[in-house]
Amino acid sequence: MSIIVVDNVKLNGRDGKVILDGITFTVEEGDFLGVLGPSGAGKSSLFKLLNRLLSPTSGEIYYRGKNLKEYDPVKLRREIGYVWQKPYLFGQKVLEDLTYPFRLSQEKPDMELIYKYLAQANLKEEILAKKPTELSGGEAQRISLIRTLLVKPRVLLLDEVTSALDTENTRAILDLILREKEEKNLTVLAITHNLEAFNFKKVLYLNAGQVKYFGEGKI
Amino acid sequence: MSNWSLFLSFSLVILAMLVSKKEKLFLEKDLLVGSIRAVVQLVAVGYILKFIFAQNNFWFTTALLLVMVLNAAYIAGKRGEGIKNSHLISFGAIVMGLSVTLGALIAFRAISYKPSQAIPVSGMIVGNAMVAVGLVFRSLKQTFRDRREEVEVKLSLGAPPREAAFSLIRESIKTAMLPTVDQMKTLGIVQLPGMMTGLILAGANPLLAIKYQIMVAFMLAGAVTVAAYVASYFAYRGFFNEDFQIVS
Repeated sequence: MSIIVVDNVKLNGRDGKVILDGITFTVEEGDFLGVLGPSGAGKSSLFKLLNRLLSPTSGEIYYRGKNLKEYDPVKLRREIGYVWQKPYLFGQKVLEDLTYPFRLSQEKPDMELIYKYLAQANLKEEILAKKPTELSGGEAQRISLIRTLLVKPRVLLLDEVTSALDTENTRAILDLILREKEEKNLTVLAITHNLEAFNFKKVLYLNAGQVKYFGEGKI
Repeated sequence: MSNWSLFLSFSLVILAMLVSKKEKLFLEKDLLVGSIRAVVQLVAVGYILKFIFAQNNFWFTTALLLVMVLNAAYIAGKRGEGIKNSHLISFGAIVMGLSVTLGALIAFRAISYKPSQAIPVSGMIVGNAMVAVGLVFRSLKQTFRDRREEVEVKLSLGAPPREAAFSLIRESIKTAMLPTVDQMKTLGIVQLPGMMTGLILAGANPLLAIKYQIMVAFMLAGAVTVAAYVASYFAYRGFFNEDFQIVS
């Protein structure tokens, strides 16, 4: 059974403008799907629909065979983790952002896991004591990714997570994502313009809110 | 103070009107209408209060408090335009602020539930609670607009709405409480508040006036906190729909 089924989904903006128009595709468990297309194609809106921050104007989305509407939004969002394009960090210190997922699940923060992710993302432990405003764009992106990984999602939606990273850090982040994917059989959907680094085997190409291509191989 | 002395004090309004005319402020009419309205309204209230005080009736007193709360809830609710059930929330918050504070003062035997004490004290509580609820609404509207992304990021991580809006709720309560806290800090130094001034002018011993003023300061701190707390914890829900998404 497909893990995600998007069936003829349409999304209109507040002003009535069509953002997504008749989107249909399926994602299998363990897929590493590239979501591609020019700016304004509706890629981030699609991720917001999957994370249920938005609801479709028409059409249906299914996760593990059940309509998204039937899930408790809180539980669903912990299953389908979303890493935003703009890494918004809200804690006084970075530590607060990384312990937030544990606060939500009312668990004791697993500092070993946090240190492990920091090391894998090429970040030093000292970063935990920094204020989010003291971080570079690339550091903030990596913290934002780690924060979502700590929620332990089954599906990962990555919105331009390497856009502010150099080649070395892009590699580190990709290794981290791929390792997580293999170890936990995560399903990953990624928006990126860095096709070379991501090397997707399956892609969804959107333009002007419509699916222009969906399938194996590269565009 | 004799009526004649009071009448002569109107000369100060005439002075204001003369300044307005000379400086072309065009406020002469407003000043005249304002002073006439003040006289008529206060005389009317004076007679109503005299009547109610004379009755010393539990239901009359309670009905008057209800009228006060309804008016205050309406005004505070208007500040929350765009927030779901803002008038109902204001009403609930002000009633809670009033009940808890007035109830405590009566329980501690600071005052008794007779019209001459309950009505003026409640007036102060309701007025301050109204301002606090209005500030809560304004702060929530502002922060949900300015910090929408923060709330959405938290929601996307699986935070329930209350958790996602927690820092905004906290800020709105703080915003509502700060004027009262600042006022408490400056009591007697920067200002001699109305109640104390009134008592002293009416010939009361300043030490007694101070005792009442201290009670009023504590009572307002309690009332404002309760009203702001209730208002914010009900109002934030109006910013989310049943799918835990921020409503536009």
